[in-house]
Amino acid sequence: MNKLSNTPVYHTPIYLDYAATTPLDPRVLEAMLPLLIEDGLHANPASSHGPGFRARAAVEKARAQVAALIRAEPTEIIWTSGATESNNLAIKGALEFRGAVQAHVITSRIEHKCVLDTCRYLETRGVRVTYLKPGAQGLVAPEQVMEALTPDTALVSLMWVNNEIGTVHEIERLAPLLRERGVLLHVDAAQAAGRVNIDLSQVPVDLLSLSAHKAYGPKGIGALFVRRRPRARLAPQMHGGGHEQGMRSGTLAPHQIVGMGAAFEILAREGPTEAVRLSALRERLWSRLQSLPNLHRNGDPDHAAPHVLNVSFEGVEGESLRASLPDLAVSSGSACSSATQEPSYVLRALGRDDELANASLRFSVGRRSTEVEIDTAAERVCRQVARLREISALWD
Amino acid sequence: MDMQSTSSNDANAYGYPPRIWQLFQQAPRAGRFEPGTPGVVAGKAGTPAARSVLSLEMRFEQGRVIDARFRAYGCPSSIAVGAWIAQWSQGREPAELAALSAAHLRAELEIPEDRAHCALMGEDALRDLLANIKT
Repeated sequence: MNKLSNTPVYHTPIYLDYAATTPLDPRVLEAMLPLLIEDGLHANPASSHGPGFRARAAVEKARAQVAALIRAEPTEIIWTSGATESNNLAIKGALEFRGAVQAHVITSRIEHKCVLDTCRYLETRGVRVTYLKPGAQGLVAPEQVMEALTPDTALVSLMWVNNEIGTVHEIERLAPLLRERGVLLHVDAAQAAGRVNIDLSQVPVDLLSLSAHKAYGPKGIGALFVRRRPRARLAPQMHGGGHEQGMRSGTLAPHQIVGMGAAFEILAREGPTEAVRLSALRERLWSRLQSLPNLHRNGDPDHAAPHVLNVSFEGVEGESLRASLPDLAVSSGSACSSATQEPSYVLRALGRDDELANASLRFSVGRRSTEVEIDTAAERVCRQVARLREISALWD
Repeated sequence: MDMQSTSSNDANAYGYPPRIWQLFQQAPRAGRFEPGTPGVVAGKAGTPAARSVLSLEMRFEQGRVIDARFRAYGCPSSIAVGAWIAQWSQGREPAELAALSAAHLRAELEIPEDRAHCALMGEDALRDLLANIKT
């Protein structure tokens, strides 16, 4: 029983950055602890002896739990260190296996940095990459992808849920179209797992990246779904002992893996109910913020993941806005790029100007978020935006 | 639980220099004079594209500043610069105002190197205001 989930607690600062990372669910911690204590399941799961077999059984149980959430086969799950590695392995591995000569890749301008930087690296190796521009609401339509195909297109990489604005791509419609054309589809589902329905028994995605720490599991562990029928083939990016069907060598970390399994098992059970609750919190926040004039909601409310709300505030400067809200843990842009202080490239791709992109906040709600937290956060944001607008030389 | 008691909205979570943080938080003299107020001279510097705009208004009587206001769009340092100049200007003559330099502002507010442009904007806004006295 999660002691935290049913208690209307108030955390300081109010954490509204679940899209950056989530706290470990206490039930996940409980599942992990036996593997971290002396004489627990400490053995190398590749070892051929009793303790090794027991560790291996724990790893395989977790593999089945992760597979179940996305309705895949356990043998289609490859453990990695996280979504960044999964995305690297999927994109570079697929291209290297095929041969990069004259290869063409299609992706979007609003992918996570680790997809974009992987694609840019491939460009230095001779791969041609098309970066599709999303519409003003942050969606790349399947038709755009199909129009960009060339006879050399080897791979399409498109995220299921955008991490900054929460838009949900129509992967269910895109995947069959690409299958028909024989083009591999990789999907970064780090933000999607447990938040939108993923059924890979019905949707012909070839490669799909997953992360544990976005889903109340531990940091440092992720997975890549690699379809077996038809077989998606990858060249390994990590060479060594031939672990994970030769696709990702390195001794497995059973405590992390068991944590991811437990986290995904909870998502499979509670995800749909949680999504309804989170959507309601997101809309509550948006409705409360609207007591301020001149706001812009970034993304598409009709194709929105339950946990993300991204808002631009006219007439205020971003750094002052964030400094005014020390009691709120929110992001401007994604956590991975906000350190640079540059306006979000995702919001720029949507056509927002630099000033508005800079004056944007990403709120993301999660398992421990409460209505009291949402109301308190909204009240603080409204008060501080109003104060900064009063001071602002650009606001009349 | 008393929600207010847990609030620590005064927290300088990003580690701004104390004087900048204080002026940013309190923003004394933020705003502008009623249109038509006699003796008011205005000056402005910065651009929205650079995400920094500072607007100063000073009310002169018998050759001295008797009141001042500022408005700023920008980072906490630029808001602090506006607030500091508006306070500091009280009772001063144009010649004294003209002597204020960006270096002086940086030293007073402990403005770090990467925010030196905020001090320059303060100096520029003040110079613009002084130029408007002469015309």
